Amino acid sequence: MLKNILNKSRQVWTPLARGLSKTNTQSNVAAESAAATNITKPALILPQDYADYAPLNRNAPRQAWIENIDAVAERKMGLIELHPDVFAAQPRVDVIQENIEWQRKYRYVSLAHAKTRAEVRGGGRKPWPQKGMGRARHGSIRSPLFKGGGVIHGPRSPTTHFYMLPFYKRVMGLTSTLSVKLAQDDLHVIENVDIPTRDAQFIKDLIAERNWGPSVLIVDKEYMFPENICYATDDLGYVNLMPAFGLNVYSMLKHDTLVLTVDAIKHLEQRLLYQQHRTDATSKGGKFKLDQV
Amino acid sequence: MSATTKLLLGSVLCHKLGKVRLTRSMHTHPALLSSFRSSKEVQSLEQYLEVEPIENAAAWKFVERLLPPPTVPRPVAKADYPSGWQPQKSDGSDSSYFVARTKNHMVPVYLHTCFRGQRRITVVRRVQGDIWALEKDLRSVVEQARNGKLCASRVNELSGQIHIHGDYVDILREHLKAKGF
Repeated sequence: MLKNILNKSRQVWTPLARGLSKTNTQSNVAAESAAATNITKPALILPQDYADYAPLNRNAPRQAWIENIDAVAERKMGLIELHPDVFAAQPRVDVIQENIEWQRKYRYVSLAHAKTRAEVRGGGRKPWPQKGMGRARHGSIRSPLFKGGGVIHGPRSPTTHFYMLPFYKRVMGLTSTLSVKLAQDDLHVIENVDIPTRDAQFIKDLIAERNWGPSVLIVDKEYMFPENICYATDDLGYVNLMPAFGLNVYSMLKHDTLVLTVDAIKHLEQRLLYQQHRTDATSKGGKFKLDQV
Repeated sequence: MSATTKLLLGSVLCHKLGKVRLTRSMHTHPALLSSFRSSKEVQSLEQYLEVEPIENAAAWKFVERLLPPPTVPRPVAKADYPSGWQPQKSDGSDSSYFVARTKNHMVPVYLHTCFRGQRRITVVRRVQGDIWALEKDLRSVVEQARNGKLCASRVNELSGQIHIHGDYVDILREHLKAKGF
């Protein structure tokens, strides 16, 4: 039933938005917002369907406004009900920290390197005879006891720090971070990513108008973003686009505001709830193999 | 991400997908950007088995019956369960705390052993709400079972866990079930 509502509502007003973007791609912002307000769309009320995944925790389901993105001025397009197991989970800051540490480490290769006594140049001959000089006995001037000698147990390059965090800690990291972002009012829901112009100033104005802060991460379900938003965010280092399958804890915390489309929300909820409820969860444990997906 | 990378990424993916669709429509959603070792390269169609698609096969429902469900189903409501398991009755509204069930509809009380089984710790997980009130209740239950001797316990409020020294898994599980959790 929910899917029907979603599809119907999308069929009703997505063509309008697309038509707008095609005709008025180069028009200025004020005219755009005026045109957008003239069109009346039915409010988008998206209740949560608990038939598949009943909530495990007893936190109240969260609700979020669906905002428009076709104009700078903010309009509420509707309401979406968010699943409490994904968006009202226990904020496990310890698991979030573990995720961050993992994301920093798994790609880090240390290039620090020190030479051993065998690798330092020279030191092949005995510096002075064993006996009769009144000096300590030594066999090489590159011994670790010598200044300029080799290093014992020094850093050896390259040292990888790769490891995999357990699968369900990664899942919990995502749910915790999404819940934290929502609770801190840093999560916004937009109807889609169809902006009317490819001008970067539109995005700048929009972020300033809605107080989205110094950096924004925009997430959609599809990995092919519309042309306008790609051009508009190209030169803005602090506005980034990401498909839902790339969503991760590090990026969510790095960006001040997380902006999800309705499609992305539905997709993330469906995937994360499936992982939380799947019957073959033990298959996700065990040692990480390089050739696994 | 710069302009060129974005467009390049898009075009490469589009190209790849188009290619896959042309040659083989079995995997319309490939594992995007995963390891190249994760799947075999797509070969020409002659390399694959001949498959004859059958529409509305009547016998397919018997196959579906054998397939394991992808997610844990909801428990079937019955008057009495011979195993002693019972569904969660309380929604936490009558007490200040709540103990959530696991995805398998079990009460999250576990036994952790360490030091070659010498130290046994009962762990109650998934506690929501006033965890200190629940700890007080559980302590009284355990102390009653120990004939009034004190019991040691520890509360982790961040993760919603209570650790109680000793093996009181059955007692605590029955207690929580009796309270409707």
